[in-house]
Formats: sequence, structure tokens, C-alpha cells
Amino acid sequence: MSNEELDSQLSAMFDDELPATECELLARRLARDEQLRGRWGRYAAIGACIRGEHGVRLSAPLASKVSAALTQEAAARAAPATDRRKPGITWVTSLAGLATAAAVAAIAILWIRAQGPVLVAQSQSGPVPNLAAQTKMAPSTPVTATPPGAEQSAGQVAAALTRPRPSREPDSYVVPLAVPQGPALVPPTELANYIVAHSVYSGPLMRRNALSALVGEDAAAPQVITLQPIDATVVTGK
Amino acid sequence: MSAVRAAREPLLWLAMTLTAATAVAADTPQSWLDRMNAALTTRNYDGVFSHWQSGRVETLRIVHRVVDGAVTERLESLDGSGRQLVSNGSEMTCYLPDQRTVLVEKAPRSLMPAELPKFSDATADFYQLDSLGTMRQMGQKAQVISVTPRDGYRYGYRLWIQRSTGMPLKTELLDTAGNVIEQVVFSSLSMRHHIADDELKPLLVTTGFNWLRDDGAPAVTVEGMGAWTNTPLPPGFHLVAQTAQMMPGVTEPVTHLVFSDGIATVSVFIQTQTIRSSPNQVRPGMAQVGSSSAFTSVQSGHKFVALGEVPPATVRFIIDALLHQSAGQALGR
Repeated sequence: MSNEELDSQLSAMFDDELPATECELLARRLARDEQLRGRWGRYAAIGACIRGEHGVRLSAPLASKVSAALTQEAAARAAPATDRRKPGITWVTSLAGLATAAAVAAIAILWIRAQGPVLVAQSQSGPVPNLAAQTKMAPSTPVTATPPGAEQSAGQVAAALTRPRPSREPDSYVVPLAVPQGPALVPPTELANYIVAHSVYSGPLMRRNALSALVGEDAAAPQVITLQPIDATVVTGK
Repeated sequence: MSAVRAAREPLLWLAMTLTAATAVAADTPQSWLDRMNAALTTRNYDGVFSHWQSGRVETLRIVHRVVDGAVTERLESLDGSGRQLVSNGSEMTCYLPDQRTVLVEKAPRSLMPAELPKFSDATADFYQLDSLGTMRQMGQKAQVISVTPRDGYRYGYRLWIQRSTGMPLKTELLDTAGNVIEQVVFSSLSMRHHIADDELKPLLVTTGFNWLRDDGAPAVTVEGMGAWTNTPLPPGFHLVAQTAQMMPGVTEPVTHLVFSDGIATVSVFIQTQTIRSSPNQVRPGMAQVGSSSAFTSVQSGHKFVALGEVPPATVRFIIDALLHQSAGQALGR
């Protein structure tokens, strides 16, 4: 199967338009094809950015690619990045170019890292609707987090990407730091520890799944945690 | 015929007879689920699977060994980070080469023995079990079992259980609307008679890594722990374990309550709140990690965290009930 066909299949999968049988085949191929998994990660991240999902998770390799692309772009003064994506990919073609998506993705990284623990805190008055709204909750930080769609030069983003992260923001949930100041009630590090403690009592199936989520790449980093609106639906008893 | 072969054949016939008898008895959905749990906890296996969740896929390898009831397991990410987790029942070691960190956590000793989640007649009140027939999965015959919740307090499952071994070759977790929110699909799986010690050791060099150890503080009794045993809970859930343990970053023991409906489990952690918060900062928060929901609140100087593989409404229900009870106790003092 050509790369173009694979791209189309991945695109259809993200658009929920791929038949179940083809999904299965693609899943098997993903399991053994590292290059294809790389494509998958890129589609997932950019797709999530486009859909405005919270807490976009980007793998470290993708983040570095985004950073590199943006650095080049800054030098070339906003020239479109060199993604050789083929035509016929439904939502990708709606982009002005990869530069836009990459900037959005980079901003998402910045926002996530700048916010850190705030990711898991949520106002009682209602769910946080989008990244823009969440950004308003951000404490002052040396990294300027800008919501998707807001104007920010690629150079600014690239420069911010290269700044060192604040020392109190752990990369890993294992770092036993004291509970930080601020509105966060459960820092991601602490929440991950709770998951490990909880897994001891889960059934074998759910235990495996929960630990897989932790072992997975980037899973222990703060961006693993995504906000979800409080489920206000009426729960019906039996 | 050699002496060895002569000794083997009766054993082979016995095994085949037992297998056939088990197959006859294992035609109900519940018996398939029992077989699956037994296979997951008692068999040696080595497999590679894809874990799909939140638009991401991770490929992991699992090596699981049981010797005289003692389980040792290694879980390894094959997707670049090389993260690994080795557990042996008494401690769990997480190797994070990308962070150059190793975490060692001792398993808590429960003050109240936990019941392992299991399928029983009681769970039938809250889940409908159906057999969806036999399908091929990973080139093997698999029995497809559907576990459908009867209310909105729990998730549903679809399981492709290998007929010959009882192992789940594919599992789907479904939200209350029936949407798949997590999927695990094995691409290879072998049931093994023997797994060597070396296969359960992490395949990496940890020189220069930062080792973080939980001191393994013994379970302790926290005053007032018993107060939570009468907390109103979502239908079907009951207290199955309670303990108190030291956790990283916390200076006082954390009370840990475990509730289960027989399939899903929810943990509640109660600890003394140590951050200085203004009133508008003390607010509930909902978080999602993988398929687990977590809900947090603070009241009377205590932080309450509920976490489990259940819908958000369930963890919120439990926290609200605990807060209500906590407030009542404060008034009664």
C-alpha cells in the first residue's frame, strides 16, 4: 500500500469514516510499523488541535519536530513548513498549511507545560470550554501561553520552546515534590501516584489497562491529563 | 515405548478430558469471564498489544509469570520511551529512561483484606452479560462476550476471549453511550510453561539514574477511618478494602478506601489538606487519565480524591456523599 493510501486511511479513521474491518487491519499494521505510528501521532495531535480538544498530547519526537519546523520557519519569515502531505485528506486540506497546525500544537505544548497542575483543576461553575478560556486561569509565567487562533509569531513560539522549564515542574509523576501553591487540587504527579495505588485493587484487566496508560510514552508527563466536563447527565437507576 | 512416554500419555489423556469438560461447562458468558480472569491471573504469558485511548495508540509488551501463586510481571513500552514497569506483588518498580528515573513503590498492606473484583450473581443486577458468538481474532477462535451496564454508574465491555486459553485477545471499554473509549488488541500472544528470571528484568542500564523509593511505610490506623463505612454509594458498590498509607509528597498517612460493584473499582483517598487556599481556589476538579475518572474536593481541611475506571458521575457521586457525611460529622461534634 502506498503512503498516499495509508494517509487516506489514517485520515478516514480520524474522521470516523473507515469501515471496521479496515480499522482492524490498520490497527495491526500500526502495531508493527513504527513509521506508520509516527504518522498516526502526527494526525492525532494536529486533529486534536483543530478540534480544539483540551490537553493535546504530543510525543517528545513530535514536539522536537514541531520545534525544529518552527525554528526554520522563523528564519524564513513565516514560509510554509515542508510537509509533503498529499491532497485528498479531508480535514488536513482545510488548513492554511502545516505551519498553522504546528504553531497551534506548539502553543498547546507551551500552555500545558505552563499550566502544569492547573490542568486538573476546574471551576465549579461549569466545565472549561476551550483552551482559550483555560488560558485565562493561567498564573503569571515566563512563558506566554496564547490560545489557538491568536496571533503569535513563530519566532516567539520557537524561542519560548527553547526556554528552560521552571524547576518545580516535574517531568515525571515519580518526583515527590511538595504540593505546589496555587489553585490546583491534585497535581498530575500526585494523581499518577493515586493511579498506581488504586491499580493494586483493580481487576486484572483494568489494572493492566491503567498501568499501560502510565507506561505509555508521555503518559507520566502532565499532558497525559485532559480536562473533561463534569458529567451533568441524569443517571438513571435500574 | 519409553518409560517417559508411558508416564506422559495418561497425563495427556487426563488433561484433554479436563479441557473438554471445562469447555462444556464454560458456555455461559459468566463462565467465560471467570475463565478470562483465571487465565489473566494464573497463566504464564508473553504478548505484544496495542493500547488505544484518546486518539493515541501505544504498543506494549507484557511478560506475566506465576509461580506458586506469586505473580511477577513486566510491562514495557515499545514506542520509543522504553518505559518499563516490573511488579512482583510486594513492590512495583517503574523504569523511566526518558526521565533517567526509577521509582520503587511498596505495595500497601491493607487493614482489611480486599476482595478481587469478580463476576457473581450480584453483579448480574448491574450488568447484563451476553455472548455474541464466536469470531476470529488474531487468527484464533474467540468467544465474544458483551458486558452491558444497566445504569450510568459504570462502563461496559466487549471481550474477545480466546477459546483455547481464556485469554482476552481484544477488549473494548465502552462509555455510557456505548462509544468505545479504550481498546486493547494483542498482535501476538504465547502461553508459556516457563519464563526465565531474565525475561522479567528490565532491559536497560540504569547507571546514573535517580532512584526514588517509597519507604514502604506500614499500614497505619488513622483516627476516624471507620467513619466512612456507612457512606451512601452508587447502586451495587460496597466497601471492599480500607487502609492508610504514606504517599510521596504527603507528610501524613493517606486514608485509602476501595469500593467495588464486583467489576469496576473506585479508590477514595482522604488526606489532610496542606496547601493554603483562598475560598475561591477550593473547588472541585474533574480529571481523566486513560479511562479512569478522578474527582477532587476539599472540605474541613481534608482533600478527597475519588479515582476509578468508572464514568465521571460515579466518582462525583461518591465524593459528594463523603462530603455530606463529613459535614454531618463536623456538625455532630
